[in-house]
Amino acid sequence: MPESDTVIVGYSETKVVFKSGRSAYDFAGEAFASLLERTGVTKDEIDGLSVTLALSEAGNPFFTVYMADALGLTPTWLNAGAIGGCSAIGGIARAACAIRDSMCKIALVLSADAPSTAWRANYGAYRSEFQDPPGVQGPPASFGLLMSRYQHQYGLQAEALGKIAITQREHGLANPNALDKFRKPLTMDEYMGSRMIADPLRVLDCVMFCDGANAFLVMSEDEARSRGLKKMVRPRAYAEVTNFAGNESCPDITESGFWKIAPEVFRKAGMTPGDIRMFQPYDDFTIAVLMQMEAFGFCERGNGSRYVLETDLSYRGALPLNTGGGQISAGQPGLASGGLNLAEAVRQMFGEAEGRQIENPSTAIVTGIGVIPYGRNWGTSAAMILEAANG
Amino acid sequence: MANENRPVPKPDVYVPTKPFWDGARSGKLMLQFCKDTQRFQHYPRPVSMYTGSRNLEWREVSGKGQIYACTVVRVPGPGLEGRLPLSVATVDLEEGVRIIANILGSNSEVVTIGQRVVLAWDQIDGDTPYPAFRLA
Repeated sequence: MPESDTVIVGYSETKVVFKSGRSAYDFAGEAFASLLERTGVTKDEIDGLSVTLALSEAGNPFFTVYMADALGLTPTWLNAGAIGGCSAIGGIARAACAIRDSMCKIALVLSADAPSTAWRANYGAYRSEFQDPPGVQGPPASFGLLMSRYQHQYGLQAEALGKIAITQREHGLANPNALDKFRKPLTMDEYMGSRMIADPLRVLDCVMFCDGANAFLVMSEDEARSRGLKKMVRPRAYAEVTNFAGNESCPDITESGFWKIAPEVFRKAGMTPGDIRMFQPYDDFTIAVLMQMEAFGFCERGNGSRYVLETDLSYRGALPLNTGGGQISAGQPGLASGGLNLAEAVRQMFGEAEGRQIENPSTAIVTGIGVIPYGRNWGTSAAMILEAANG
Repeated sequence: MANENRPVPKPDVYVPTKPFWDGARSGKLMLQFCKDTQRFQHYPRPVSMYTGSRNLEWREVSGKGQIYACTVVRVPGPGLEGRLPLSVATVDLEEGVRIIANILGSNSEVVTIGQRVVLAWDQIDGDTPYPAFRLA
């Protein structure tokens, strides 16, 4: 991503819904129409489009082209976001490059998915022969394995994971877009008593697949100012890695791609962990949040449990964590999930996070995680540092 | 562990894997081996994960190893009928390669990281052997 003058000038997000009966296109349309209204940009001015590939439309290799058609767009730059939960911030970073290189001027970064209504994905590859037979069909078994190893190497306190779930639930209560089912407080007793699904992983450590969409508009800062747009967020730095340790057959799985990219994204932004006002990490499972706190240097490696238990992670605290509830407490709209925590970061920087607004929301880290590979942690890790550029 | 609902995988859908399945039928765990680096890799790939070359062959491994990570799957899913709670582990074999497998014959609660394991055979539909392990 260029050391850019590119800015995010608008965001929109639908409510997260379980088994809505609606398609990714319909959710996308809702987010898109709302984004046009909020920014005053007209449809035909948008000449760049990044679309996150959706589980619910996975059978269509031309999903991005179909989406352009559905929305009545004629992009000169089109990108398929194929890195799952990294696709939203990855889409912003790629859009910034496209704008710099004059492939487009105004880009829409769109993620919509409805896997709780229609699941059309089949990962194929080695899975039927080597992953399904021992019973590792879904993410919980893989994360049970990962947690067991982390616990073995560093020690893991269930209360720390419980605190992550409870803090995010409190934040989700103030988010009207969160899944209705989750809009009630959570206690430590409820967390500790929740069903073990793949030891030591509890059901309340996990997300629930839902339906929903989010969308962002990206343009140069000059363009934004010439339009009189006042609220903007500058993506200061971005880093991404896929298949970390991909040439090792017995890697340390407690070390993720974030160990490589966290120092890189701080270096590119010229910042340190102490400069970060809010942490909006990808949260498919609570352990992923804890491991990222270590990777981004908010605490020492292996010290995640103690750090979580000692730190106020609320929106008023030292390190506000997933202030919209994250996916764990707002619901995971399939692969559109990568945009959920990004939308919350932008909302905070626009000063629009009613009921959970952070004081001085000047900087944020937003991350993504994409796909769970054979016997490791996750396939793609991505991180973006954002800063408020309101003027 | 016979189970009518547990699908029998088809070989050769991703890369040629017939040696793995033929080996299983004769009680041998056969894994992919990179001849350039003299190292195993698993799952099987179209090239060596170490060099990118296709200079690969299949070799038998000892089946001896150590539990690297373990979990107990407790929620239903396709092919899991009648198998829960299911002990799942990643096992580091002596040959320096890691494999996901079930740990058979033990109460899943006693399986822990670091334990030594040896090769055992699960039966997918009564007559298709599939590699698993038991505590040594």
